[in-house]
Amino acid sequence: MSSFQITISPTRRAAARFITGVRRALQLALIEESKKRGLTQSDIARELGVHRSVINRELRGDKDMTMGRVGELAFLLGRKPVLLLPEKKVSEGSNHVVDVPQYSVQVTSTASTTAILEKELETQHVAAA
Amino acid sequence: MATIPQLDAAGSLFKLDPALDDDEQELRLLHTSPRLRAWLENELQGLQSAANIEMTPAEQLDALIHTYSSGLPLVFERDFKAFQPKPVQPIGDGVWYLKTPDLRIFGWFWRMDCFIGHVADTTERVKQFDLYQGYRGEVIRFRDGLPLDEPKSIPGDDPNVVISNYDLPD
Repeated sequence: MSSFQITISPTRRAAARFITGVRRALQLALIEESKKRGLTQSDIARELGVHRSVINRELRGDKDMTMGRVGELAFLLGRKPVLLLPEKKVSEGSNHVVDVPQYSVQVTSTASTTAILEKELETQHVAAA
Repeated sequence: MATIPQLDAAGSLFKLDPALDDDEQELRLLHTSPRLRAWLENELQGLQSAANIEMTPAEQLDALIHTYSSGLPLVFERDFKAFQPKPVQPIGDGVWYLKTPDLRIFGWFWRMDCFIGHVADTTERVKQFDLYQGYRGEVIRFRDGLPLDEPKSIPGDDPNVVISNYDLPD
């Protein structure tokens, strides 16, 4: 089997996947809210005082999004953005160091945020023990 | 006729390694034609975003392939799209394209979650010179000439039979 990869630096690979992950979380949250309560990009644009095309381009990836905009969109979607930065760990028996930053982003409802943080703390507690 | 691994060994197709993390599983596969591999290795690296965004086209494609390969949900018509059948056809010819803000990758699904890409270009050029139908024809010609075991392709334009985990745009 002769496979190949797209040539890209590890740091830029991490950055691109992070940006895409954030945008995708927002896209999927909007799809969910659209089904649940009929929320549209126009509704969001009106609340933010911008044209609908601005929101559309930001969600499609045709326009960069500031972290502030991520917070605004999450709020209007009824979600709370959570950024987790767990420390890099090397699994026992592993013969190489994981070189990709281990973080994750979730756009989650406020109610489940507590549950996620509790689970995270529980996991860390078990790992420490 | 031949299987995908046999075509891979013969240099007729190449597996695109998505460079997943240690804790990720490759749940969707992507192969390329020699032409697409050459484009990805020679042309893609020098491209800048026409949309003037932070991510270069190469970074956009890497991120899309990561999402695709790791089985994360895709968004129909935003990440992948089919050509609609022509008026005389009862069903589409199964040519699809993957999308990023700056790129279009044309190919087909030979099985669910198994994409073979043949040709790529920038979104700007494809739209400016109306290259969609030309690339569609090139994909069909390459597919017809590829000695892949039948059925070579999933016909039609129904996303339910080509992608396992996707959502519809809002």
